[in-house]
Amino acid sequence: MPAIFPDYCNVTVPCNIAPLNFMLPADQYEACVARISTPDGQQQTYGHGVKVQIPEEEWHAMLDASKGKSMKVEVWGQKEGEWLSFSPFEIHVAEEPIDEYLSYRLIEPSYVAWTYMEIAQRNLTTFEESQIFNNEITMNDNRIGQCINCHSYQNYKTDNMLFHVRLANAGTVIVNDGKVSKVNLKRDYTISSGVYPAWHPTAKLIAFSTNLTRQAFHTSNPNKIEVYDLASDMILYDVEADSVSIVSNDSTLLEIYPTWSPDGKYLYYGKSVPLPEEMRDKDIRTTYPKIQYNLYRRSFDLATHGFGEEELVYDAASDDKSVTLPRISPDGRYLLFAIGQYGCFHSRHHDGDIVCIPMEQYTGTALNAENTSPIDLTSVNSDGYSDSYPSWSSNGHWIMLASRRDDDNYSRVYFAYFNNGKVGKAFLLPQEDPERHTTLLKSYNRPEFMVEPVRISVAEFAKVFE
Amino acid sequence: MKKVQYICTLLFGVAVLLFFGLAYPHHLHYQEQYQLFLFDSTYAWDIVRLPGGIADLLGRFCTQFFLYAWVGALIIALLLSAVQLQTLRLANSRTSQAAKPSGVWFYGLSFVPSFLLWLFLLDEHALLGGVWAVLLTLHATRLFDEIPDGWVRRILLMVAIPVLYWMVGPVCVLFFLLLAPSPKHAAWYYSVFVLLAIMLAILPSYVPVPADRLWTGIHYHRYPTTVPVLLWSAALFVFVLTLIVRFCQKWAKASNGYVVTLCSFVLVAVCMGGIVWKNSNFKAEKVMQYDFMACHQQWNRILEAVNAEKPNNQIGVTVQNLALAMHGMLVDHLFDYNQNGIAGLLPDVQSDATSPMPTAEAFYQLGMIHVAQRTVFEAQEAILDFQKSARCYKRLAQTNLIIGSYEVARKYLTALQKTLFYRDWANETLSLLGDEKAIAQHPEYGRLRQCAYDENFYFSDHVTPEMLESLFFSNTDNRLALDYLRAYYMLTGDRESFAKLLLRLQGAKN
Repeated sequence: MPAIFPDYCNVTVPCNIAPLNFMLPADQYEACVARISTPDGQQQTYGHGVKVQIPEEEWHAMLDASKGKSMKVEVWGQKEGEWLSFSPFEIHVAEEPIDEYLSYRLIEPSYVAWTYMEIAQRNLTTFEESQIFNNEITMNDNRIGQCINCHSYQNYKTDNMLFHVRLANAGTVIVNDGKVSKVNLKRDYTISSGVYPAWHPTAKLIAFSTNLTRQAFHTSNPNKIEVYDLASDMILYDVEADSVSIVSNDSTLLEIYPTWSPDGKYLYYGKSVPLPEEMRDKDIRTTYPKIQYNLYRRSFDLATHGFGEEELVYDAASDDKSVTLPRISPDGRYLLFAIGQYGCFHSRHHDGDIVCIPMEQYTGTALNAENTSPIDLTSVNSDGYSDSYPSWSSNGHWIMLASRRDDDNYSRVYFAYFNNGKVGKAFLLPQEDPERHTTLLKSYNRPEFMVEPVRISVAEFAKVFE
Repeated sequence: MKKVQYICTLLFGVAVLLFFGLAYPHHLHYQEQYQLFLFDSTYAWDIVRLPGGIADLLGRFCTQFFLYAWVGALIIALLLSAVQLQTLRLANSRTSQAAKPSGVWFYGLSFVPSFLLWLFLLDEHALLGGVWAVLLTLHATRLFDEIPDGWVRRILLMVAIPVLYWMVGPVCVLFFLLLAPSPKHAAWYYSVFVLLAIMLAILPSYVPVPADRLWTGIHYHRYPTTVPVLLWSAALFVFVLTLIVRFCQKWAKASNGYVVTLCSFVLVAVCMGGIVWKNSNFKAEKVMQYDFMACHQQWNRILEAVNAEKPNNQIGVTVQNLALAMHGMLVDHLFDYNQNGIAGLLPDVQSDATSPMPTAEAFYQLGMIHVAQRTVFEAQEAILDFQKSARCYKRLAQTNLIIGSYEVARKYLTALQKTLFYRDWANETLSLLGDEKAIAQHPEYGRLRQCAYDENFYFSDHVTPEMLESLFFSNTDNRLALDYLRAYYMLTGDRESFAKLLLRLQGAKN
């Protein structure tokens, strides 16, 4: 196989994805040429320097011709004046499209301080990227700084959405049926304002975890940074009533990462297991590698806003693991989550991986590594690098994750085809210039699918800070 | 007469050159290290797509030469001299022959904008793009002066509104003021100000920067919320000068005497020069000098400097202690110099771009590579105008190389390959990536790899003696770590821990 970057050899891609431009390593080759053949017998040849960049229109015509089938790609590389031929590979084109938009925060993989950051949206069928918000537009004091984070949408749509603004001009920006407002979610009975959000799929309700988050740094461990919570609870915010109610606030345990089932009848979340007695009073920085989260859920009554009893869904701690970031597939049949040996921030853990479990295996008895047969995700997970922040496309056919597999530091967005428990090879978000992923010194943080773009401009968002 | 004027301009330029070359060189180094000028179309586009982008790009281009202070001083001297000459020409072109400033006592006033810009540049956060904005505006005005009045000129003027604004930012208002005819004769002209105001009112919807900065300038000053009063004063003084010469011409007598010209120059030069000198921050210059010497690992020069004048600021003391330690003199001579407790040895990392850098150098030399990396990264993130730093990129490439994160190091090195002055170093270092043998044999990286921690633990903002102890006992050849640990106990007066350390050292020997 050719050593192309990104690796698009034998991947399954959506029938509406932007051109899969790629390149050969510039320090090894002088030029690259690719010939793409589609099932209708058409052929196109591309190559400019070491890069193969395909015009959007031609690419989409090739996708149309290959829908449900495959296109064949032959690659030649020029090395020291000689042309080398590689084994051809295929790009399978799925019948199912991917959601047209993706949003993410672009941020340096920082420690404590940060500089310019933006929440951006990208059209996945083209290379068009635009800004949703940035941390400069309303920052009234650079010395304090401003952090923007946790963009979240109701049911993949953007008429109801939110993101947080911390420090200078702090608040949570909420879009309610297209109307923008800024609210303060901190109440005197909560430990913090809302942090990790989850919109209820149908009602104007948002579940948040509230977190007292801290960071510590490793002296030699390649994980570099540890993000941990001194305390965390869960709240429910009623957007219409501007009211905050407590979902759980056990001061001895840590609740985090709420997510709703697609029908809105269950709230899933991670919760830590109690530390052994002898460790409870010790500095959390020494005990933190022992903190592990299991996956729980509680039923939810939309009429009363009441929650049922807590159910243990996945017991990760029994296998000496920690589970975070649960996401249920849109058809409710599959559960995705990130798993690592400890803690809640697997995007900084080299052992962070994605797990997918058919929900039919959960019959009321807690699942664990012994009694479940997870879907084989070896084609999705990387070996020895952090894979985290999984999510589903709105049609349930595409898994998205943030992975640091390319350089161990900068998160990039990967997609993988999913169909009835069969999973394709993960492939990198295509870029117009395939070198962008190598040169961009920003991480793609918290990638979220959207079926439509955010139509509110940066300036309109900025007005709520006036 | 012209000869005399050129001599005056030359004298002014030489004064600027000498000032920045001799008295203020480290301010120039400081400026250079808080930007990363890349010969890259994406980088250039990101700058020029914002109002004031051309001036900003030119400013950044010139600032990269500040790595060599004399070259930087020459650039500033040329820019300020050019501003003076343009100011004089503009004033000359706006009055009668008899009252031309070149021939009267007004002449010296043509230096005032340049002196004001000089004053502006005393601030280490003042950006050269601001000076370019003024100069380009004056040039544009001179160009328009050549176009005869008529429809062509009026149309060009309308086109000039967005173009000049985009090139230089709001300082371009000077252009419209200088070209303003008498309201009695051309009331239409004042619509350009209305158009400018409308443009500025509409722009915030399309340009993702705070609206107020569209009025005050995006990249005239590193602190985006600071309005650069001196820069604006310099720009507006050019207009004021044209008013002065216009309204005072009836009292002005043409004079071709060198004496008047020289006297007016000397008067302004002495007054404004005095103000410049008085407002120069030589204390900051000294601190920057220490930082510069630490950055370039000039340990002998640091010791010479501290022996000549003992530093009494945090950065100076940190650098002094590092130089003493590099010479193996830290423990024996610790109290021969000013000390500031732990804050002068390994201070807590502050959230600014400057003070952590010497501390990061100490962490790096000690072999605390992860700590050094974090410290440098945080410093770079603290640059208030969101620029990157060539110095930080270089160090981040080194730390990633040492800890074996080659792909991350490659990213920084690839960026540095696009610079003028760090390209060769980046190319050399790129060849080391993945070459374990070459890294092991490298005098700096090989040594620092051997100093790495055996044991992993968490650290935060405060360096503890346990961190130094663990570092030393990971590699007992790391004398620097031992010296810092002993100095730590000496500075805190912790005799008990010191004694325990000595016992442990004896145990290790046996």
